[in-house]
Amino acid sequence: MGLGIVIAVISGKGGVGKTTAVANLGLGIAMNGKSCAVVDFDIGQRNLDMILGLENRVVYDIVQVMNGKATLQQALIKSKVEDNLRFLAASQIDDKRVLNSQKVKKLIDELRAKFEYVLLDSPAGIESGFEHTIEFADAAIIVVNPEVSSIRDADKAIGILDSKSQKVKEGGEVGKYLIINRIVPDMVQSGEMLKSEDILDILNIGLIGKIPEDSGVIDASNQGKPVILDKNSEAGQAYKRISARLCGKKVDMKDVESADTSLFKKLAGIFK
Amino acid sequence: MFEFWRKKKSALVAKNRLSIAIMSDRGGGKNYPFMDELKNEIVTVVKKYMGVRGVEVKKEVDGNFEAISIDVFLDKRS
Repeated sequence: MGLGIVIAVISGKGGVGKTTAVANLGLGIAMNGKSCAVVDFDIGQRNLDMILGLENRVVYDIVQVMNGKATLQQALIKSKVEDNLRFLAASQIDDKRVLNSQKVKKLIDELRAKFEYVLLDSPAGIESGFEHTIEFADAAIIVVNPEVSSIRDADKAIGILDSKSQKVKEGGEVGKYLIINRIVPDMVQSGEMLKSEDILDILNIGLIGKIPEDSGVIDASNQGKPVILDKNSEAGQAYKRISARLCGKKVDMKDVESADTSLFKKLAGIFK
Repeated sequence: MFEFWRKKKSALVAKNRLSIAIMSDRGGGKNYPFMDELKNEIVTVVKKYMGVRGVEVKKEVDGNFEAISIDVFLDKRS
C-alpha cells in the first residue's frame, strides 16, 4: 500500500469549528470508501473523542504511543459507524513539552503507511503544539468563520505554516484549503457578514467548502454523532461535499450564501 | 429613520479593516508592502528637480500612531 496524505486542520483562533470539521471530514472520507485516521493533537484538551462519541473507549493516547508505552495498533479506536475510520486520542496531561519533532515524525510516518488519509486536529493558537501539527503535514485545511478575528488569526497561522512546514523547507509546497464555517446567509445578503469572495481575496488561498450556520451541529455534538450522519442538516450536507472533494471527486461549490432562507421556504420544509 | 439606510454596511467595514490589519501583520510590523514602490516613485519625482543619492522610508509606530518618515539624500554636486 502506498503512502497516505497527511492533512493538518488548523484555524489560529479557537472555537471556529476545527474539531467538528475533523470529526465530520474523517467520517466523510471513510464513507467515500477510503481508510482514514483522525488524530487529536490538542494535548491537554481532548475533545475529538466527545464529538465522535468515543470518549468511553479511550484506553491509550497519543503521548503513550509516542513514548512507546503503547503501540499505535493498541491505541487506535475504531469508529462505531464506519469501519474505515480510526481515531487516536489526545492525552489529557497538559504538558505540551512531551511532544518533540522526532517523535511526531515517527508517529506520522507510521500513520501515513497505514492509512490513505490522516487528519490532524491542531490545537488553537500558534504555539508549539500547533507547530508540531503542521510540521510534517502534506497539506492543511484552514477553518475560518466570516468574522474579523478568525480571519486575521488564520492569516497568521498560514504564515507560520509557510515558514515551518517540512515540505516547504525541502523546497516543496504545502497544499492549503479553506473552509468557511458558520455562514449566516441572511446576514451575507444584507451586507452584515463578509462574503466568501472577500475572505478569499484577503487570505489568498483556495476554497474547498462553505458551511452554513446550523443548530444541528450542537445537537450532533450533544449526542456524539457527527452532523454528517444527519441527512436533514445543511452543515452535514456541506461536510459530505467537502469530503467528496478531498477524495478527488468533482462536486460543484454550492452557493450557501444565497440559499433561500425565506419564511416560505422554511414553512415548505416542514411539510416536506 | 433615514439613519438606518445611510448606515454603512458593516461587512464592507470589516473587509477594509481586515485588509489593513493583515497587511501590517504580514509586514512583521516594520513595513508596508508598498514601501519599495513608494521609494522608487519618490526618487523619480525628486530627480526631476535635483540629483538624488538615495531615499530612506521608515515606518514608525508610537502608541496608537503610525507615521512614515522619509529621508531624501541629495547628490552633493547639485
